[in-house]
Amino acid sequence: MSGKKIKVVLAKPGLDGHDRGVKVIARSLVEHGMEVVYLGLQQTPEAIVNAAIEEDADVIGLSVLSGSHMTQFKRVRELMLEHGIGDRLLTGGGIIPDKDRDRLVELGIGRLFGPGADIDEIANYIKEWAESRSAGTAET
Amino acid sequence: MNTQPSRVLSPELWEQFRQGSRIACARLVSLLENRPDLHPEIRHRLFPLQRGAVRIGITGPPGVGKSTVTSALTRQARVAGHTLAVIAVDPTSPFSGGAFLGDRIRMQDHIGDPGVFIRSLASRDGHGGLSPATPYAAEVFDAFGMDWILIETVGVGQAELDVLNCVDIVILVLQPGTGDIIQALKAGIMEAGDIFLINKADQPGVDMVLDSLRFIFQMDAHRPGYVPPPLLTAAAHTGTGMSEVFETVEQVIAKFRREGRLREKRRQRLEQDIREYIQQELWHRYLQLTDAQPEITRVARELTDSGRSPFPYIEQLKSRIRMERNHDQES
Repeated sequence: MSGKKIKVVLAKPGLDGHDRGVKVIARSLVEHGMEVVYLGLQQTPEAIVNAAIEEDADVIGLSVLSGSHMTQFKRVRELMLEHGIGDRLLTGGGIIPDKDRDRLVELGIGRLFGPGADIDEIANYIKEWAESRSAGTAET
Repeated sequence: MNTQPSRVLSPELWEQFRQGSRIACARLVSLLENRPDLHPEIRHRLFPLQRGAVRIGITGPPGVGKSTVTSALTRQARVAGHTLAVIAVDPTSPFSGGAFLGDRIRMQDHIGDPGVFIRSLASRDGHGGLSPATPYAAEVFDAFGMDWILIETVGVGQAELDVLNCVDIVILVLQPGTGDIIQALKAGIMEAGDIFLINKADQPGVDMVLDSLRFIFQMDAHRPGYVPPPLLTAAAHTGTGMSEVFETVEQVIAKFRREGRLREKRRQRLEQDIREYIQQELWHRYLQLTDAQPEITRVARELTDSGRSPFPYIEQLKSRIRMERNHDQES
């Protein structure tokens, strides 16, 4: 079981108490062999990026069901770039209208998943991203 | 060092690490987790940077509040001016190889504090309550300049005692209502605690646990020079009793230092380290000499169906190794 594992930091930013979805995602990513650091509810963007740095996470996943996705995803992305971890994947999900989704993707944020998304598809998306990244850098 | 410097370990990475980059620090820990081939190079370079941080293990059965105790102890140590790294280990699923690392949830007080570095590790191949990379991660944080390194194990039962080999001091955390567990733990982990802490002391049943522990300590009282370990109570989620815990940790560190025990622990770790590398090297050499791995796999498969004992094969293999060695010496 040694060798590189995909490490994912999962969090719910802001004032949003609906954590059932993110827990299901956490569980299924673990079942796909990933190491998932779960931060829980009411996280600030600063705390999330700080955790991603210390954990050397490949992926940050945010769950936002409160409607504040534009602010939260944008801020986390800004902080990632500011702190020099812009090469990691920022992805996530929630109740996000298509037009917002497009705007977020333009900001360099990865795919965003909505209600009814297939869990295996999310895991496979992360795996494919990680493969293309390691192919690029030939690192760990 | 006969290894070629690796491309992954760029001079920039080391330079950033020395200048206090948390990204570089986190990266080195990952490399030690993922790349055993780089261990000698990384660890060799970390050695001169280490300043002898004190390593404190926090262990105990699942659910007693190890993460909460770790967080509360971190708060106390920060007030006293210590810098800290926390290594929090959670179990890897033997089925999927994945891991749910949830210890950070209980450690949110220290966000944004540059004097605290928290890292979660999945236990991976480790079966003794730690990840195999734990002692190496501790070396990284020592070299990074942290004063204390708190190592929180996975919830342990009876024999997960890896933590003993890689820390200076062990805090064993228990909770009320675990009288029977103490009986079960007696043989293994009960001997490991340098400090005993009953957490959740705001819940009923504390006296019973204290009584059981005192009884166990009493059984050792006849041994010459025996001093029972400190026995404390706290409610880490409110912080009650945690300043006493912190003071006791400081006292035990001072005592161990005075008695030369910290130095002895370091010597033991180095000895174990050398032994493990030699074992690895010999195993490696042996595999090269005899190309044994595929052969072992094949023989095991044959034996599985035959009901025969493996010992004749083992004897044959041993004599082959002896012959190879003689051959080596002659040539």
